[in-house]
Amino acid sequence: MSQPVVVQGLTKVFFDDARGEIRAVDGVDFSCQAGEIFGLLGANGAGKTTTLRMIATVLAPTAGTALVMGHDVQREAEQARRALGFYSATTALYPRLTARETLEFFARINGVPAAAVRARVDELVARFDLGEYADTRVDKLSTGMKQKVSIARTLAHDPPVLVFDEPTVGLDVLNALEMQRTIRQLRDEGKAILFSTHIMSEAERLCDRIAIIHRGRIHACDTLAALREATGQHYLEDIFVYHVERAEEQGEAGL
Amino acid sequence: MSFDLAAVAALYRNEMRHLLRDRRTIVVSIFLPLAVMPIMLFSSHWLEQRRKARLETTTFAVAIDGSQAEMVRSLLVQAQRLRTARGEAFRFRETPVAEPLAALGEKRVALVLRGVTAAEARAAAGEEAARRELEADRRGEGGEEEEREAVLEGVPVVEVLFRADRDDSQAAATAMGEVLREVRSEGRFALLRSAGFPRDPATVLPVTRDNVATTGQVAGLALGRLVTALLLLFMLSGGAVVAIDSLAGEKERGTLETLLTSGARRQDIVAAKLLAIFSVALLIALIQVANLLIYVGFELIPVPAGFAAAVPPPVAVLLFFLYLPVTALVAAGLLLLSGYAKSYKEAQLNFFPVFLLGLLPALAPLLPGVSLRSAVVVVPIANAAVAAKEILVGVFDWPLLLVSWVVNAAAALLLARLATRALSNERLASPLAAEGERVPGPVAFQRQVLRNFAVLWGVLLVVNSNLPASTDIRLQLLVNLGVIFLGGTLAMVRIYHLEPAQVFALRPVPPAVWLAVAVGAPAGLLTGVGVFQLASLFVPVPREMLEALGEALLPEGLPFWQVVVFLCLAPGIVEELTFRGALLHGLRRRFHPVVLALVVGVVFGVFHTSLFRIAPTAFIGVLLAGVTLLSGSIFPAMVWHALNNLLGLAAARAGLPLESLEPPLLAAAAMALAAAFWILWRTRSVYPDLRGERRR
Repeated sequence: MSQPVVVQGLTKVFFDDARGEIRAVDGVDFSCQAGEIFGLLGANGAGKTTTLRMIATVLAPTAGTALVMGHDVQREAEQARRALGFYSATTALYPRLTARETLEFFARINGVPAAAVRARVDELVARFDLGEYADTRVDKLSTGMKQKVSIARTLAHDPPVLVFDEPTVGLDVLNALEMQRTIRQLRDEGKAILFSTHIMSEAERLCDRIAIIHRGRIHACDTLAALREATGQHYLEDIFVYHVERAEEQGEAGL
Repeated sequence: MSFDLAAVAALYRNEMRHLLRDRRTIVVSIFLPLAVMPIMLFSSHWLEQRRKARLETTTFAVAIDGSQAEMVRSLLVQAQRLRTARGEAFRFRETPVAEPLAALGEKRVALVLRGVTAAEARAAAGEEAARRELEADRRGEGGEEEEREAVLEGVPVVEVLFRADRDDSQAAATAMGEVLREVRSEGRFALLRSAGFPRDPATVLPVTRDNVATTGQVAGLALGRLVTALLLLFMLSGGAVVAIDSLAGEKERGTLETLLTSGARRQDIVAAKLLAIFSVALLIALIQVANLLIYVGFELIPVPAGFAAAVPPPVAVLLFFLYLPVTALVAAGLLLLSGYAKSYKEAQLNFFPVFLLGLLPALAPLLPGVSLRSAVVVVPIANAAVAAKEILVGVFDWPLLLVSWVVNAAAALLLARLATRALSNERLASPLAAEGERVPGPVAFQRQVLRNFAVLWGVLLVVNSNLPASTDIRLQLLVNLGVIFLGGTLAMVRIYHLEPAQVFALRPVPPAVWLAVAVGAPAGLLTGVGVFQLASLFVPVPREMLEALGEALLPEGLPFWQVVVFLCLAPGIVEELTFRGALLHGLRRRFHPVVLALVVGVVFGVFHTSLFRIAPTAFIGVLLAGVTLLSGSIFPAMVWHALNNLLGLAAARAGLPLESLEPPLLAAAAMALAAAFWILWRTRSVYPDLRGERRR
């Protein structure tokens, strides 16, 4: 079986009437295996979100391909989406649904058979400890509870691939740690996890492999140990700066 | 397009659940109109009744003046006697005032009756006309024109002066008019009798009016004229609340991205949302109608006599089915509006013009004499409105009803498809954090290519209109081809960092293609002549247009080799690089290949700024675009183009009038052209990265 996520030469060029052409992602290659957390590490605007949105089929690549469980994100967008769960700080929940209704709804539209929906929702409610709040409307829940419902929503159809796009943005320390714990658990359950962040410590702690992305290009992609060895730097922050500076130098040299 | 019914059902349920839990929406979209509409109708009716009643019982104060005031007074006395004899009220009372016109202005009297002699009346009329003209000049409009009858010498005249800006004055003037006409008739009859008229003059030439329509039909017409607009009003205002919340609201809340990254398909999402808006719009319209009927039943709102007879249950059912696709159309239009708005606020802003646009066709039955058996049947909404009127009057055609049903349903489907596309359009579907490096590149070129060609065209126009007519044709061509076309094209390649080999489709072709070119170029030239001759049978084609096909601008006194270089080779190479190269490359993903060939051809035609050359060059341009698209290379088009020009010029030089060739020869040419394209098709190596290879 091929890898759950395979990305080759993925490119996204935006066009904005005021600003002209913007090359947000420029020929990105990577893959992610089952039971792995693959991190995209980059500053704001580096192309992380655009890359993940292309994988989630919200954006169409200008060039290149991305396969999710073997499904091409352009030609088999629907199958690709059914094989993944997408979580980001901007993917909101329906405020007037209860937690249980939310999970039911997303299970159904992601193709969970009607007979299995209830059991799946109960399972998620139990797993995320939502019992007490399952019948409370989402807009009445605390941030932490909303976050739990949101992750549970992402898992509603038990997808093999999970995409977390800067999931800890806007969370306090405890909630962020809780999020990391959940992601680690999911990895241990065998999910292939794409994880983007601009926080070095988070990437250091969580990712099995890290891709350093800058100006739409991946400049290094390996395990933390290998990255350390290649650069002679210990801290991820230094490794990151090392690659970004080299990229800038190359850019100035016109390469 | 297929639907996953389970997903659509889940999405629909979610949509409705979300809506029903929004108390504000329910109040605004259902309860408020439910209460407001009848209150509005009822209160306006009540006010109108009161106004009428008040005017009917008022006794109007009248001022009388003029040299013939006594004559006026005696007329009023006669009138009062006539009315009293019939047992009717006489509702005028003279009020003595010093300055009647001032009194009218100060509302002390409702009318001024002025008795004047014929001469005075004429003089006053002349003055009035002059005054009016002056005033109209000043304001650019005319005041309300009063009735003015011909004045007979020696006969006194009664002038009724009133103010149209006052209810009481206007009502008094109308009533006074009636009274005075009665007195006048009575006076005339009395004269006739005294002159020995043998019968009662009132019985001469009686006129009667009989309405043979049933009261139901009359009420049906009144109702039919407005029912669609009224229903549409309900549907639009009710549906909008859901629609705006549906896509624009989801965008704003961030739930749309959650939805779009789920396994649900775009068409399922649109279908469910459409169904939600449809059901709410329909429900609200039905509730409103039921609501109105209840009020009508309790006689709180007045309706024309026979109203109940106009809408028997079968008619109501028929109308219901007629309005189903209209409701779907309204729903799809609203969803589209919501889909194209980036926020809730933007959707609300856009709603008003859409609202007016939707209501406008619903007013079609107000047009005099409009019937469904006309072009109206293909105009969405307007057709249903006219059909509804015809159904209510009871005179209608089943086939035309069916056509209008289908037209509305098709329009709804079309809009729904556009809404689906809006969801796939990433600029609309998701808030883009488009950051990264800014470079002018191939994508920007695709978006700006037409704009760039418009600039190129402007430059061409300006330069050519400023070149003196005596300029050597070689210099003209050097400027046009060498500087504007080639220079402009190369500038685009440079600015957008394009790959010349790709832009100009510099690819080798199999030998068979050259055979196609050898056959196709002369055949294409002659076919062009044939096509325009054929067209001239239907629309007049100027002779200049036919001659232009043969590149008849044969320059005098140019050696033949220079003719070949400047008029055949140079255009063949440069114009192909520009149009079948840069233009076609830039537009390749924007249009379907067939449309692409047409667009490239038309733009090419428009660049030949002489009016008569546009159509013929566009024809050749389409052929050349076809050649390039099928062979995937620009070289065959270059050779074809050069050959085309060469043959045209050769024919002109030999004095061979291409435009007067016989039809059989032209038909043979068309077949040869078809054969050339058949060869191109068989050996095709299609232009890469066309729109046909769809991405999604």
